[in-house]
Order: sequence, then structure tokens, then C-alpha cells
Amino acid sequence: MEAWRLPLSSSIRGKLISAGYTSLSSISSVSSSDLARDANITEDEAFEILKLANQSSGSSSYNGSGSLINGAKNAWDMLHEEESLPRITTSCSDLDNILGGGISCRDVTEIGGVPGIGKTQIGIQLSVNVQIPREFGGLGGKAIYIDTEGSFMVERALQIAEACVEDMEEYTGYMHKHFKANQLQMKPKDILENIFYFRVCSYTEQIALVNHLDKFISENKDVKVVIVDSITFHFRQDFDDLVQRTRVLSEMALKFMKLAKKFSLAVVLLNQVTTKYTEGSFQLALALGDSWSHSCTNRVILYWNGDERYAYIDKSPSLPSASASYTVTSRGLRNSSSSSKRVKMM
Amino acid sequence: MKPENLLRRPQTNRKLTTGCEILDGCLRGGIPCDSLTEIVAESGCGKTQLCLQLSLCAQLPISLGGLNGSSLYLHSEFPFPFRRLHQLSRSFHQSNPSLYSNHNDNPCDHVFVQNVHSVDHLFDIMPRINGFVGDSRNRLPLKLIVLDSVAALFRSEFDNTPADLRKRSSLFFKLSGKLKQLANKFGLAVVITNQVTDFVETSDGLSGLRIGNLRYLCSSGRRVVPALGLAWANCVNSRFFISRSDERSENDESGSSYVSRRAQRRFDIVFSPYLPVASCEFMITREGICGVQA
Repeated sequence: MEAWRLPLSSSIRGKLISAGYTSLSSISSVSSSDLARDANITEDEAFEILKLANQSSGSSSYNGSGSLINGAKNAWDMLHEEESLPRITTSCSDLDNILGGGISCRDVTEIGGVPGIGKTQIGIQLSVNVQIPREFGGLGGKAIYIDTEGSFMVERALQIAEACVEDMEEYTGYMHKHFKANQLQMKPKDILENIFYFRVCSYTEQIALVNHLDKFISENKDVKVVIVDSITFHFRQDFDDLVQRTRVLSEMALKFMKLAKKFSLAVVLLNQVTTKYTEGSFQLALALGDSWSHSCTNRVILYWNGDERYAYIDKSPSLPSASASYTVTSRGLRNSSSSSKRVKMM
Repeated sequence: MKPENLLRRPQTNRKLTTGCEILDGCLRGGIPCDSLTEIVAESGCGKTQLCLQLSLCAQLPISLGGLNGSSLYLHSEFPFPFRRLHQLSRSFHQSNPSLYSNHNDNPCDHVFVQNVHSVDHLFDIMPRINGFVGDSRNRLPLKLIVLDSVAALFRSEFDNTPADLRKRSSLFFKLSGKLKQLANKFGLAVVITNQVTDFVETSDGLSGLRIGNLRYLCSSGRRVVPALGLAWANCVNSRFFISRSDERSENDESGSSYVSRRAQRRFDIVFSPYLPVASCEFMITREGICGVQA
């Protein structure tokens, strides 16, 4: 329960809060002399407060958040939430490892790389993997795939879906042999049906669709991932006013973040690379400019190292910088054959 | 706004056959529709030959791998090979007489050729193309657009300054956006050819930036890079590379030995959203392109 609900005079309440005692549990665990000293009140007043606090905690039902400002959470609750967050596997265990288990829900993850490195492949793989049922360690959710480039090919998605079902069936077979497990109900066609596919052909369509997503996802609560392939394409045409472009993009980024938090889903934005002219030379950078780079929680960069494809965690609030190799096979994303090499930590 | 039902789409994208079985094998059927396909090659490797052949194959019925449609050939390089088109058309007509017997026309009637001399010109004629595609009065609807070549449209007009390059980049995306929109709306296959430039090592290392399955591209014994750079590479869905290498083979026959040279063409997949790494070899004959069994 919040401390401000206690029947106290506003000056004492103010002193309590400024001393940091915002929740009932924090008050009840402290002695009256400590409370008096911390909050700069007399011992009698502290004693009164403790008495009230004990009374209230007995009578009122425990509100799990116990915080002062509505909607604020304390760090313990957040840690607990974060640890129990489901993650979407990429089917490549090395990649999953550097991602902390997979693509995290409630976050916006940006994945960028040169053409042909596998961005669309990762997008399709994730839209299939989000559907892995809970019994197999997945989320059992649906996917929204926003295609701005026309790279999504049904035959490729079907190929990856078939491989996913085969893998699950193999696992079921094993489970069936040793435990009494149910037969897998899912078929590749079902997987295709659970991908909500949108093709957008202009930036206005893209903005309109993003604005519509809130309503759409409210009506389809089992959507657990939104993939945009690519976020960049329609925005690299000539925008006469670059300031306007930046504004439109940051509004879009904000919407995605809100969607991710509100519906606890993962947002994956695929981005292109471009050469940036800085300090007299050209350098490789993700497209859409510097202001865009603040719009995502996590950023992964895909690149070639010799003949192998690598993924590198470029930005993350919780994951260390690391890179891992992966391959694109006919069955989808997998570990590279030389994955006996340890994951390289930066 | 409603999502598309993926199950209502055919399980494989409609593909346009190249007219050559071996090439089709590499491509799992042929050039995909609703997609921008780029063919990068040095001059004289056969990209125009392939495009002419595709323009004719588009007229085949769907059961034979065609699109039952006509093609629009936008060319930016002079001269347009009319004579070669007629030659290919004659042998195509001979192999497929049933397609034209009822209508008293011939394959050339369904290949529409339009010259474009600059990128602004191309944008100017876009609305006309839009109207043309949707025009139901043509016996065969338009199903293939070829742009040969995109590099020639851009190479002369822009300086090497960052501002001009940025302007050029945004035109790439505008062009690609419009073509993809057309491809999506009408289910067209769009094939764009591109040139190569010699590879020159630059201090920032970006000219050697690897894009796609091949570590580097080689043609006629020297290292090359596709023209128009990284920005354009982001605008196409698939990229294929045709190269030539002059092979020398020594043949020993009845005591005497001689050296013969044969221009071998090679077709490589650089990147594609659905094709695994593959390559094949082919030759250019009077009848067109035909693959060579490895």
C-alpha cells in the first residue's frame, strides 16, 4: 500500500516521502527512532505513523506494487518480471546465447546489415518460431510481418515452417517414447496462417499501418512479435524536409515502444546499412541517421567475417557486447558448422 | 487495413522461365514475379541476351513457365539490338507455332521497346507505364518489365561529392519503390541490368565491402564490383552475376595439337531471399542462351 494513503497531515507525509518511505513495507520494517531521524520528525510522530502503518497493513489487501506514484515499480519487481520474460528463439543457439536466450519481448530490437546477410531470413525465422507451442518452450503466439521491400516469399516461409514442424515432431517422437507426450497438432500451413502479413508500398501506408497496429493487436491478443522488413526502405527517398523525416520516424519509434510495452510483445525492426560521410571519410553505419539510433532498445549488427555470417550486439541495456556466427540453411537459421569455436566476447 | 492471407497465395511465387533448363534449375523455376531482380555483368557477357530471351519467354503460357504476357523493354544504352531480337523471335516462333497461329501475329509484336535517356525521363514516363500495364486492350497483358541498364541512367549526371551521391541515392529508392509498387499491384516480374566497374582499393576499405554469397566478383580475369554502390544494392530483391572467363583448352587430335579459346559464361547467385547458393555455366548460341551441364 502506498504511504500517502495513511491518514497523516500533509507536512508529515511530505517529510516521509522525501526521506524515501514510499511504501508501507518500508515503514513497517523500520524502528521508530530510525524513522524519526530519517524523516526529521519527533519520535512520538514516528510512533504514531508506525501504529497506523501496522493497522493498515492488517486491514487492507496487499497491493503488489506498493508504490507511491501510480504505475511506478520498484526495481525488485522489475527484475523478477524481466527474468520471467519469454524470449523468442532464433533457432541458432549461439545467437540465442548472446541475446540472453533469444529476442526479448517488451523490447524493440533493431537488426541491421548489408544486403544478402540474412535479415529477411531472421525475420521469417522469428515469425515461425514465435508460434512454437508452450509445451516445446515457445510462446505459442502469432506474428505480424510488415513487408516494405517485397522480399518475403511464401515458399521460403513454408520451407522454414516445415523444418520447424519436423524438428518438433522429432522431439515429440523422443518424448513419446520415454514419456506420455501428445502428438504434435501443428502443421506448416497452420504456421503460415498465423503470420499476419502486410505489404506496404509507400511511407504513408507504413505510417497508417503502424497507427492501426494498436487496434489490430487489441483484437488479436495472441500476437507476440511484430517484424518490419525493412523499416528503412520507404524513408530513404527524397524527403524534402529532413526534420520532418526525423519527426515522423521518432513518432513511429515511440509507437513501437508503446506497443511492445503495452502488449508484452517483441518488435523487430530490420534496417539497412549505408555509408556515412563523417570527418572526411566514408564509414559504414545503419541507415536513418543518428537520431534514429536512440529509438531502439537493442541493436544487432550482422556482418561478414571471411566466409561466415556474424551477429554483433551493438547496443543493449543488459547484454554484453559479443558476437556469434550463424548460417542460413534451407531449414532456416542455424549454428554455423564451425560453432565449436567459443562465442567471442568483446 | 487487413492482412493478406498467406494461404491464398500460391505456395510458390509465379516464376518466369529463362528458356534454359539448367538456368531454371539454379533459379528454382525462373525469375520471380512481384520482385525486383538485378543482373550484374560486364559488357558483352550476355545480360542483354538473357533479357531478350526473357521478353520472349514471357509470352509462353503459364503451363510452360511463361507469364502469358507481353513485355516492356526499357533500354538506356544504344543501340537496341533489333536484329538480334528478330533472330531470336524467329526461332522462338518456330518452336512455339501454336501460340500465334490464331492471331496472325508474331512474338515481336508483344515486346514493346522504349528508350529512356535519363532517370528523370524514366520518372516522366512512369504514369504512362502505369496506364499501359493496366490496359486490357492488349491481347496479352504486360507481365514483364526489363530495364537495361540502370547504371547508364545514373552514371553521367552525378559528381562524386557527398551531396550529389545522397541525391543519387534517394533517386535509387524512389525508382525502386515505384517499380516494386508496379510489380506488386500487377504481379509483374521486373528485371534490371547493371554494369560493373573495376575494383579499386580505397583507404576506407568500403569498396571491397562484401555483399552476398561471393567473396568477390571476377570477370575476364579481373576483380569487379557492381556499379552504383551499396545504396542501389539495398534496392533490389535479388542479385545475379554473369561473368565470362576466357578459357584456353588444348586439344590433341591425330598427332597435332592446337589451342582453342572458348568464352565460358558463368551465372552466380549473389543474394536472393529464397535461393540457396548456386551457380551454373552457359553459352550463347544462335537460338539463345543454353546452359552447359557441369
